[in-house]
Amino acid sequence: MAEVRLENVVKMYGKKMAVRGVSFTCREGEFFSILGPTGAGKTTILKMIAGIEPVTSGKILFNGRVVNDLPPQERNVSMAFETYNLYPHMTVYENIAFPLRAPRWRLKLTPEEERKRVEEIAAFLGIDRLLDRLPQNLSGGQKQRVSLARALVRKAEVYLLDEPIAHLDAKLKFSTQTLLKEFAQRYGSTIIYVTHDFREALALSDRMVILRRGLVEQEGTPEEIYYYPRTDFVGRLVGDPPMNLIDGEIIPEGGTLFFRKGEDFTLRLEGRLAEQAQDVSWNENGRKVVRLGIRPEHIRLGGEKPSENAFRLPVYAVIHESESSVVTFRLRDNTFLYVRTVGFCKYGKGEEVWLDFDPQWMFFYGKTVEVLREGSSEK
Amino acid sequence: MGTLGKVVFWLVTAFVLFVIVAPLAWIYLTAFKSPNDIFTTEARKLIFFKPTMENFNRLFREFPFWDNFLNTVIISVASTVVVMVISSLAAYSFARWNTGKGHLLFTTISTRMFPGVVAAIPFFVMYRNLGLLDTRFGLTLLHIYFNTSFATFLLYGFFKEIPEELEQAAMVDGYSRVDIFRKIVLPLVRPGLAVTAVFCLVWSWNEFLFSFLFTRVAARPVTVLISSFWGSIEVQYGPMAAGAAIVILPTLVAAWFMQRYIIRGLTFGAVKG
Repeated sequence: MAEVRLENVVKMYGKKMAVRGVSFTCREGEFFSILGPTGAGKTTILKMIAGIEPVTSGKILFNGRVVNDLPPQERNVSMAFETYNLYPHMTVYENIAFPLRAPRWRLKLTPEEERKRVEEIAAFLGIDRLLDRLPQNLSGGQKQRVSLARALVRKAEVYLLDEPIAHLDAKLKFSTQTLLKEFAQRYGSTIIYVTHDFREALALSDRMVILRRGLVEQEGTPEEIYYYPRTDFVGRLVGDPPMNLIDGEIIPEGGTLFFRKGEDFTLRLEGRLAEQAQDVSWNENGRKVVRLGIRPEHIRLGGEKPSENAFRLPVYAVIHESESSVVTFRLRDNTFLYVRTVGFCKYGKGEEVWLDFDPQWMFFYGKTVEVLREGSSEK
Repeated sequence: MGTLGKVVFWLVTAFVLFVIVAPLAWIYLTAFKSPNDIFTTEARKLIFFKPTMENFNRLFREFPFWDNFLNTVIISVASTVVVMVISSLAAYSFARWNTGKGHLLFTTISTRMFPGVVAAIPFFVMYRNLGLLDTRFGLTLLHIYFNTSFATFLLYGFFKEIPEELEQAAMVDGYSRVDIFRKIVLPLVRPGLAVTAVFCLVWSWNEFLFSFLFTRVAARPVTVLISSFWGSIEVQYGPMAAGAAIVILPTLVAAWFMQRYIIRGLTFGAVKG
């Protein structure tokens, strides 16, 4: 097991900067996720840790020792690739046994020991009946589990998993997540897990980083990431429906600060919120504008006015999910406001409802992402 | 496919088949004919005649057929082995590390772009000075020279098909470059190696121009012997057909063997599985 530290790591492909100075520490025995959209540089970072891609500048350290110049064979890492990369001419058994047979690790297992190890991990991942097949005769989900088995079969300093369950169906995804969590706890393994799915990252990680265009946007525990997103980007990336982002004007009036969203609503800001709003606001056509972020579950709905700051809007649509409902409101600038309510929501379309923002969970941000409007696409 | 389509399909197939099979049939029929049957104008005798081994007996007794045949075997096998060793390593290097940034690969392939005869004169002068004329070693070297470019080009494509990530996975799994080449790359590129080797073997086996120019007696391959039956006074169809009948056999076997592998080679892109 090892602690993995990245210090200001940069990766250039020609003149293109794929990773622009990333630093983070994955502690020994930690389940650490890298979450980000496509093209954020997640896989590149993983490959640099594995030693497959050379680092342009910066340092990668295992247990405090710089490993920049060590080839993959010398790093004792194990990796599951997003593209599986199973060896096509070998059976599933041979694929999984392949890392065990590498002379480099000096395992010198007897055939019986080897079979025991392979069968154990195969049974763990539910692919023990596929051992004699060739990769070409497997489904995508089966290949993915074989590639995961090949990565987990050997004791390594750190396990690098690149979207290891992305191609499994929903049920398998859930059970495999449980298995991964169990594996991490049983062996105290250091795992660096790359995913674009915030649910996986939140479900599995001890800690995680959010990556955006080759830069770390936020580092923290899943709780911190979900409840205290540092930027509007994090709020948008994590959560479904994502965090509501509402651009509005801030207006000082008689010593008090108000947040005004056009004709839709006006909120009175106090204490922390007033300060935060002032700090991050920007000028637009001579007006002070700021972005308000609030998660759908932190807005309360009611038939009667619940607080001074509450306001009324007509319901645009209601989506019933199994244990909650998402109520959508349409603001006058064609952006949507999502509210999650527990249980089965009974409001009808067009019904006027009171909305009340929980001030504890309101955040103000500068603008770093475009908000989706109806009829446009998110950037 | 309509009736007309079927008719056209079979007509074309029959025509192609005829073009390919007729010369072969003619050679094998002629090989077993007596001189009288060869030169008769009686149409019936084209197929119905009294078979004889006379041509083969003459070929083996009066001409150094087996010596020349052995030359062909030695030169084509030796050159193919050497070419495959050089080309597979070179092609892997070109495909994986872009060695020479494309210029070296182009230079290698460009040796195939001019007519062989152009190279013949400088080679001839060089060979005469080095004492390589009419030696198996000399002709083998020439065949290596010409086949290496072709084999490298062909193998380059096959190596290029193997995803680099597959090798990266093996590196992470703890294998050295040499082990990866042996355990991952070679098994995957095997159909490509087979196709390339057979192409080289057949080319070298059939090669005539340089064999004709650079050998006389000791290193003469069988292709040159067969052509010598076409004399200025008479054409000895009998021994010529008998010799051709034997020499063609290995290439026919190779062609049959190749059709399996060429199909595999062409569908080789399915590495991802």
